[in-house]
Amino acid sequence: MTIAAELETERDTVTTDLAHGIDALVRRVQASVVRVVGQGQGVGSGVVWRINGDIVTNDHVVAAQAGGVAVELDDGRVLPATVAARHPAFDLALLHVEGVGPGELRMAATGAAVHLRVGELVFAVGNPYGQRNVVTAGVVSGFGEARLPRVAQPLRYILSDVLLRPGNSGGPLVNAYGGVVGINAMIRGGDLAVAIPTEVVQAWLNDQDQML
Amino acid sequence: MEHTPDTSVLALLSNQMADAVEQAGAAVVLVNGRERLPATGVVFDPDLVITADHVLERDEEITIETASGTTLAARLVGRDPASDLAVLRVDGLGVAPATQGTARVGQIVLAVGRPASGGVMASLGVVSALSGPLRRRRGVAVEQVIQTDATPYPGFSGGPLIDAQGAVLGILTTGLVRNTPLAIPTAVAWRIAGLLAQQGHMQRGYLGIASQPIHLPVAQRGGLTQERGLLLMRVEEGSPAEQGGLLLGDILVSVNGQTITDTDQLQAVLATSPVGTVLEIGVLRGGAVQQVVVTVGQRA
Repeated sequence: MTIAAELETERDTVTTDLAHGIDALVRRVQASVVRVVGQGQGVGSGVVWRINGDIVTNDHVVAAQAGGVAVELDDGRVLPATVAARHPAFDLALLHVEGVGPGELRMAATGAAVHLRVGELVFAVGNPYGQRNVVTAGVVSGFGEARLPRVAQPLRYILSDVLLRPGNSGGPLVNAYGGVVGINAMIRGGDLAVAIPTEVVQAWLNDQDQML
Repeated sequence: MEHTPDTSVLALLSNQMADAVEQAGAAVVLVNGRERLPATGVVFDPDLVITADHVLERDEEITIETASGTTLAARLVGRDPASDLAVLRVDGLGVAPATQGTARVGQIVLAVGRPASGGVMASLGVVSALSGPLRRRRGVAVEQVIQTDATPYPGFSGGPLIDAQGAVLGILTTGLVRNTPLAIPTAVAWRIAGLLAQQGHMQRGYLGIASQPIHLPVAQRGGLTQERGLLLMRVEEGSPAEQGGLLLGDILVSVNGQTITDTDQLQAVLATSPVGTVLEIGVLRGGAVQQVVVTVGQRA
């Protein structure tokens, strides 16, 4: 094989791997993303956080759903869910679905948001306008800080340029290793996506556990 | 965390882009030159920072903040509203200049800015197109511009558009064309910045002619192969063109041996010809090619 041909083959391999890499990553993540349904309509997205039926979403997704919510899993099943806990300041809510057997829910792999660097690749998966499993790509654009009432530490959040639309809220922001590094919460200034870091979600859930 | 072979290329690319931002970010400074949001600048020469002209709303009390968080006084040494570029001198800056690269359509790029203390920001895109020359009221402002779909966040003007290796491909500005993010290619921006550092302002070449592209009938090409030329419709009195001997009715066909078939090409040549440059202009006069020597002047 000539050097040119070898280079050509190498380039093709890399291209294929990159496309396959994104495809494989997205498939894995999608299995853990649910559509949050209220009154028959998709209102947002959620992430299967624990195998016991705990699902994380945004507080604003469930805040207006007095009639209760349901979650539609990746396999199409729709299960009733209870709102187990809410944290309006962090814009987080914990949903719980009962009666799911072992192996029925695919728990999301988590990544460390604390190690995120500006410029690294991130993907958002969610259900904008109710459309299932829409993927958008971007990079970590930076970090922001918010001082919140009755919260001692300022909240450090992730900024990215992934495209978010209504219905993406509560869905995961995923790094290039396929780990959930944040929960997409809102859009700032028209084009900056704000995500609540995984560590903040985890710390809040740990607090919930202690309270029980 | 999973490290499957499938995602390794993805992870590699991701890490490389973060490295590129970090590397380029070392030469990216925050520029304080207006009341509202700060903007961004790039160190292009020891002690010299290139930024966007429109983000400097005052001539004095300009400061910059480096990647390490040091705030330093900056002196405005030159500005060029036409290209929306300006140069600041920062004594004792001690930051290594950014590396230069050349943009290609389709290339993955990152827009980088430092609109606030505490770290650069970035957004992802590709080089969408290379276009130009960009004309403004008084002729060509820049020979070429880079169009990109990377989002320039507020305060990104003056910042770099970088490739995945961290090389600066262009300087971002939203001030050249309203609501359109563009980058001025590094080769163009560095050249203008160099002149601004030397002279304080840009002197764009001026000939003093008005012309119109025309089709050349085969019999009147004077042995040339080109099908078009520029018919001189007007030669201003006392202008460099008149002094050099250009006449109304001449058909301009080349400059310094380079074929000229439309006004954009002539504008591009002038944009890179400082005042005092001697141009050998080929014209068709009476069906034969003649060379006329014109010294580029400055518009009065």
